Amino acid sequence: MRPAISAPLALPPLTEQDAVRSADRSRVHEARAGNRRWWLLWLLVGPGILAMLGENDGPSMLAYASDGAQYGLGIFVPFVPVLFALAFVVQEMAMRVGAVTHRGYGELVLQRYGSAWGWFAAADLTLTNLITLIAEFVAIRVGLAYFGLGSLVAVALGLAAVLFTFSGGRYWRWERIVLGLALFNGLFLVAALLSSSHLGGASAAGFSHLPGSFNTLLLLLASTIGATVTPWMIFFQQGASADKGMTPRDICEGRWDTAAGAVLAALFGLGALVAGAALLGHGGISAFSQAGFPSALGHVAGGAAASVFALGLIEAGAVAILTISASTAYAAAECVGVAHSFNSSPREAVLFYAADFGVAALAAVVILIPGAPLLSIALNANVLATVLLPVSLVFLIMLANDRGLMGRHANRRSTNAVAIAVATLVGACGAAYGIDSFLQTIGVVSS
Amino acid sequence: MTEEEELIMHLERDQFVAETSRPVARVALTPLGRAGLWALRVFAVAVSGIVIYTFAAALH
Repeated sequence: MRPAISAPLALPPLTEQDAVRSADRSRVHEARAGNRRWWLLWLLVGPGILAMLGENDGPSMLAYASDGAQYGLGIFVPFVPVLFALAFVVQEMAMRVGAVTHRGYGELVLQRYGSAWGWFAAADLTLTNLITLIAEFVAIRVGLAYFGLGSLVAVALGLAAVLFTFSGGRYWRWERIVLGLALFNGLFLVAALLSSSHLGGASAAGFSHLPGSFNTLLLLLASTIGATVTPWMIFFQQGASADKGMTPRDICEGRWDTAAGAVLAALFGLGALVAGAALLGHGGISAFSQAGFPSALGHVAGGAAASVFALGLIEAGAVAILTISASTAYAAAECVGVAHSFNSSPREAVLFYAADFGVAALAAVVILIPGAPLLSIALNANVLATVLLPVSLVFLIMLANDRGLMGRHANRRSTNAVAIAVATLVGACGAAYGIDSFLQTIGVVSS
Repeated sequence: MTEEEELIMHLERDQFVAETSRPVARVALTPLGRAGLWALRVFAVAVSGIVIYTFAAALH
């Protein structure tokens, strides 16, 4: 079979990006040659943890806390880890395709299946990313409001974080800054510990607090799935794995990276759920909606728990702004066919950096519009991501099964079975919620 | 080994920017595969439209 990616014998023309990536790879080679496994793992972790903790974003953590406040811990304690296990299957495929092909998701779809499909994927991503980014600024604002700060500070903080990570012109530096910030997602675990003595009957709520209405149950499923697996994560992890310079030899470490991200994200997500569950016997979701979550938590579990949760929201929003903007930048520059790497300087990759900052700036402008329905946007962001996810998943499964690209690293049957089950589950939940809501809106069925 | 070769010796050949800039070969989808992808696309656009309509209607 003719390989999809052929290589000439002569040394290809070199770029600054090649030199920077080679310097990073030299440390990986030294660590592997010296059998320094932990150092090797440290050098290769990043895209997986960032994709998973990036998805533990502001709206997702608010959704977990809201679920806890409304329904207690019962169903969610097993449900959230199962969803992150499914996310691992999806993200491992994205990492593997990036490491084997050295190309991002957007450019592979566009080149392998035609420009129409590539542009459709990029358009889906841009729409969901823009809405999700608005929700991230809302989450930062909710966190800052607890400390008496307003929207302008949220906007300044989010955009300053994006600009700060651009300094250096290296993927490695960008990744380590964001990774350092992302570990503060653990604040939700601290908030849970501080709130745990106020759980009361929430831990024993079991299935007794499930929503009575079919539509609410579907919304709950769709938004919780949307809080775990989304299109931007696929674009991001594949693009970042290629940008980092991962190769097929790094797939094992890439799996550990993705698994570590899934475990941490599940733990921290459960932290937000437990903190929210402290409100179950104290006004529940109505206290949550009326006072803003950190303030409502403060009344029940004390100022320390509320402050930590508010700081966690600011962190979750900021990290998600960085990773989601990066996924938009990868998609836009890949589809246009121009430089798409943090190893390029802003002058060499104008569109890449402009898309990264531009999409964040556009979302920031929206939250400054007086009277904009920000809370509704935040709550619907995850649902829209769930609806558009099956298309991204199907193309990822096709790429991961493409033996012309992947060779012996193509999907196994067991991976395909789980991946197809995830795509079907996500599609069914999104469609059922969308159709049921629409029928209620036009009055065909009663709510 | 030249200075240039030393600079990039840790990259695999297909990792060079010059290599990744060359498009991969396009695969021909079967008519059934193409129909399936279009059906999925129409489904995603339709359900997205429903979600956006429902969201807009709820605002009013």
